[in-house]
Amino acid sequence: MTQYIQNPALWALLVVTLVAVALTVRQRGTARKLRQEIAGLRNHYGELESQYSESVHTAQREAEGETRTALKSAMRTLQGLAAEQQRIISGLQRKYGDSVMLQDLLEIDHMNAQFGRRAQSIAVLCEGWLGRHRDVASVYDVVRSAQGRIRHFQRAQILSKVDFGVTSRAVEPVALALAELLDNATSYSSPDTVVEINVRTVPKGVCIVVDDAGVGMNEEEKARAEKLLTSERATGVSGLGNPPQFGFAVIGVLCERFGFTVSVDSTSPYGGVRAVVLLPDELLTSMPEPKQPTASVDPAPPRDVPAQVDAGPSAYENEPEPSLPVATTDDGLPKRRRKRPMALVSTGPSAASGTPKRRSEETAALMAAFKQGTDAGRATHPEAAERPSSTRDASSEGHEVQ
Amino acid sequence: MNDADKQDLEATELVRPYVITNGRSLPRESQFSLITLVTATADEQQRPARLSPEEQNLLRMCVGGYLSVAEIAGHTQLPIGVVKILLAALSEAGYLVSRPPVARAPVANLQLLEEVLHGLQSKFG
Repeated sequence: MTQYIQNPALWALLVVTLVAVALTVRQRGTARKLRQEIAGLRNHYGELESQYSESVHTAQREAEGETRTALKSAMRTLQGLAAEQQRIISGLQRKYGDSVMLQDLLEIDHMNAQFGRRAQSIAVLCEGWLGRHRDVASVYDVVRSAQGRIRHFQRAQILSKVDFGVTSRAVEPVALALAELLDNATSYSSPDTVVEINVRTVPKGVCIVVDDAGVGMNEEEKARAEKLLTSERATGVSGLGNPPQFGFAVIGVLCERFGFTVSVDSTSPYGGVRAVVLLPDELLTSMPEPKQPTASVDPAPPRDVPAQVDAGPSAYENEPEPSLPVATTDDGLPKRRRKRPMALVSTGPSAASGTPKRRSEETAALMAAFKQGTDAGRATHPEAAERPSSTRDASSEGHEVQ
Repeated sequence: MNDADKQDLEATELVRPYVITNGRSLPRESQFSLITLVTATADEQQRPARLSPEEQNLLRMCVGGYLSVAEIAGHTQLPIGVVKILLAALSEAGYLVSRPPVARAPVANLQLLEEVLHGLQSKFG
């Protein structure tokens, strides 16, 4: 044993072993430390990464929100201007209704409606203002309103109607969604084809079916459309592609907000797209009363309409109700007209039946009124001629006498 | 501003006039003047359901007698030109017939009218 102790090799071996052990221990420690460090770094990196993506998202959202707000208020202005312009055009159309200028006014009106619709679509995507309040309207009128908002509206033909109205809340969204569908239908089909619109009653409500004879959509496009029409779409104006395609995104937002559905996954009989708008019962109501009668008893008829027309309602009001039992059927007004013009051009037997049964005093009063009227008509100073009551009396009573 | 303007501020018509006319252009000036008289042809049953509500309204209005274009326009609340376009389309389709206005009567003799009036007043008044 001692010889081993004295053997330097043993000592050397021992030293080496000790050094090796010490080294190993140290190495292990370092490795552990390193491992810990790596794990820490990894955590840190992960944290940073998630923070980064979070902040990117936030920035994106903020940017999106800002864009949306900016666009929303810009569109609000444009929409307001378009609406105002539409009112002015309406006024002009009345004012110059009898001139050749009307043709151009109608065209300007059409352009303005398209412009308004564009602004409205973008506003919808930005959760903005949809438009002013509308009264209850028939499904037919809503479809025609939609028709008026696209460029080639003559190509859209409404083939069938239903006797339903759309609730006032849904008039504008349905019209806008349908306008987008019609725009797609007319844009993606050849200019000489017709886009058919059929309105049908179904157990769940009313369907508006739009059939075009266009090229149709491939599977990819259908999938994209389906995605946009459901809630999976991106919000806001991003992700609409380049050039941006608003149509389906707008429809999707409107569907979600107002509770109707649109599907475009079927093929039309002409090989194009068949788009179906399903209006549930909640959005439907009974047919609105025809607007005409309320409009024609309007106290302020357009100034340009000749006095002859002006005479109509007042003369009608003056007539005793009981003698005209059928006068208030649908429009009220037609009844009076049936009698009067016939007397005017003497179409035979009915003229005799229209003979007035008046007392002599009344006749005299009428004659006096007549004279007053003709005097007023002859008056050279304008204020006498313009006085509505006198002209009205004059012409209406003038009719009576004949 | 009067009531009509106030009403206008609320909303314009849902269906614009160019949709009602379906983009047709104005008829010739000679075809319809303000005082051209229009009436519906006899067969009421043959009217197709395809006509727009405005067209049907016009036809309903013109049944049974002659109406002047101006009068029709006044009752429909549509611009006169729009009514003319609709009337032209309806005439073309054979639902309406029009005739030139009744010739304008010569200006009444005021003296004669006054004499008649006096006569009537002395008789009834």
